[in-house]
Amino acid sequence: MLSPEDLSAFAISLRLAAVTTMILLLLASPLAWWLSQTRSRFRSIIEALVALPLVLPPTVLGFYLLLGLSPTGPFAGALETLGIDRLAFSFQGLVLGSVIYSLPFVVQPLQNSFYALGKRPLEVAATLGAGPLHRFIHVVLPLSKLGYLTAAVLGFAHTLGEFGVVLMIGGNIPGETHVVSIAIYDHVEALEYSQAHWLSAALLALSFIVLLVVYSTNKHFTLVRS
Amino acid sequence: MIDVDVQLDRGSFRLQADFEVPGKGVTGIFGASGSGKTTLLRAVAGLEEGARGQISVNDSVWLSRDADIPVHRRKVAYVFQEASLFPHLNVEGNLLFGRTRVNELVHQFDLEEVISLLGLKDLLHRDPESLSGGEKQRVAIGRALLSKPSLLLMDEPLSGLDHGSRKSLMLFLEKTIQSLEIPVLYVSHSSDEIARLAANLVLMKDGLVSAYGAIAEVLVQVDSPFATSEEAFTVLECRVGEGEDLHISHIHSRGGETLRISKVRHGVGMPVRLRIQARDVSLCLTRPLHSSILNILPATVRALSRQVENGHRTVKLDIAGDNVLARVSEYSCQQLTICPGLELFAQIKSAALVT
Repeated sequence: MLSPEDLSAFAISLRLAAVTTMILLLLASPLAWWLSQTRSRFRSIIEALVALPLVLPPTVLGFYLLLGLSPTGPFAGALETLGIDRLAFSFQGLVLGSVIYSLPFVVQPLQNSFYALGKRPLEVAATLGAGPLHRFIHVVLPLSKLGYLTAAVLGFAHTLGEFGVVLMIGGNIPGETHVVSIAIYDHVEALEYSQAHWLSAALLALSFIVLLVVYSTNKHFTLVRS
Repeated sequence: MIDVDVQLDRGSFRLQADFEVPGKGVTGIFGASGSGKTTLLRAVAGLEEGARGQISVNDSVWLSRDADIPVHRRKVAYVFQEASLFPHLNVEGNLLFGRTRVNELVHQFDLEEVISLLGLKDLLHRDPESLSGGEKQRVAIGRALLSKPSLLLMDEPLSGLDHGSRKSLMLFLEKTIQSLEIPVLYVSHSSDEIARLAANLVLMKDGLVSAYGAIAEVLVQVDSPFATSEEAFTVLECRVGEGEDLHISHIHSRGGETLRISKVRHGVGMPVRLRIQARDVSLCLTRPLHSSILNILPATVRALSRQVENGHRTVKLDIAGDNVLARVSEYSCQQLTICPGLELFAQIKSAALVT
C-alpha cells in the first residue's frame, strides 16, 4: 500500500498541479488573447518563446532555472526584495518551473479557441454597446469554455507528470518538493516495485477518471486541436 | 441628418462614399454585389479599421479628422446578414445583451413591446440553435432595437431566409422600421425590398456613391448606372380607388391617372406604392387597341439616357406628373424617333404593389 511518504508525494504533486494550473489560466488568458488578436510583428517572437518548452529537454530548462534561482544567481537580489529567500529547492521554485514548463499547453488551446470564435460575436457585442472588458467577460469567456477546459486539463496533467525540471530544481525534499513522479522513480531505483506499482496505478486511475468526467460532460471536447 | 464622407482602402478595392440623407426614415443602400454596400455600412458602424473621413449622425460626430469613436460608443445597432445570435445565451439573454447602454426603467416597457411586436413570447427560453432562420433574424432585430441605438444598420437581413420567412419578416419590417424614431440604413440588392421600405436611396457602384436622395428622384436619373441597368425601376405613390371589376383594383396616381392591377385587399383611399420595372414599360406612338395589356397611359418623354447599354436606352417619361422609366431598345428609339417632348403611350405590362 501507499506509505505516508508516498501519500505526501501525491499530495504535493496535486497541489503543485492545481496551483500551477490556476496561475497559468490567469496568465495565459491575456497572453493568448493578445496573440489571437494582434498583428504586431513581435507576435512570432512571443509565440516561439511560449512554444520553447515543447521542444526543449526539461533538463535544459531546469538547468537554467537552477542557475537563475540560486541565492547567488542573477535574480537573487530581486527575489530578496520580494521577501523570497530562496526559490531553488522550494515548492515556490517548483511552481515557477512548472508554470514555464506547462505554459504552451495552456496558451495554445486558449489561443486556438479564441481564433475559432471569429470576429462576428465580438462585432455584434460591440455594436450593442459592449466595451472591450465586457466583451471578453460576457462573450469570449463563455464561448471559450471548451478551450479553457482543454487548457486546464492539459496544464494540470502536464504538471503532474513533470520530471526533468523537478529533478533539476526540486532537490527532492520530502514534504516540500518530493513529488509523485520522482517518488516512482526512486522506488524503481530501490527495486521497490510494488510501491512503484501502487503510485503508478493511482496516477493512471486518476488521469483516466479526470478525462472520463471531462469527455462525458462535454460533447465536443478534444485534447488535440489543429 | 446623416452625413457620411468616408474613404477606405482594401487592397484593390477602394471605398469612397459621400452622401447626406435625412436623420429619420429608411435609407436604402442599393447596388450590385461587390459595389461596397456592406463595407460602407461597416465603416459607418466603426467596424472597418482604417476608415478615414467624416461621419456624423444627427449632430453626434462619430468620425472626423481628430476623432474616431469606437464602435461600442457609437450608439449604433447592426443587424447582420446572418442573425449572429450569441449561442451561449437563450433568446431572452440575447435580447437583453444590449441593456448595458440602456436605462433599466425604460427597459422593461420596451422589452414587452418588442417581444409582442416581433412575436417572440414563446421563444424567450429557447436556445438560438433551435430557432428557424426567420425566428433568429427576428430575435436579432429585437436585440438591435432594445439596445436603443440612434442609428440602425441592416445588412441584407432577409437574404439568408427561405421564401416564406422572407415574406413574413418583410411584413414585419414594413410595419416597424418605417415608423421608428431613429434613422435606418438598409443595405440590399433586392429592388423589391428597396421599393417597399426605403424613403431615400443611396446608389453604390464600384465603391462609389453614384446618386443619393429621395427615392423617387434618385431612381429616375436616366444616366445613373442604376437607371441604365436591367434592374431599373420606379416607384409611384398612389391611392386605392373604387374598383368595380372582379379581379382588378383601380389605383389612382397623384396626377389622377388610373392604373389597373390585380385585386388588392387595401381599403379605398389607402396610400399604396407601386413599383414599375423599366423593362416592363414599352412605348407606342398611337394608343394600341385590342391589347391584353391593362395599363396604357398617355405619356410625355422627358429625357433619354445618353449611353446605349446592351442595345438599350432608358427613357424617362412623365405620366400625369409622375416620372416613370422605360427600357427601350436603341432600334425602337430610332424607329419611333423618340426625343424629349414627344407625346406617346406607355404600355405598362405589370406594376407590383409594394405597400
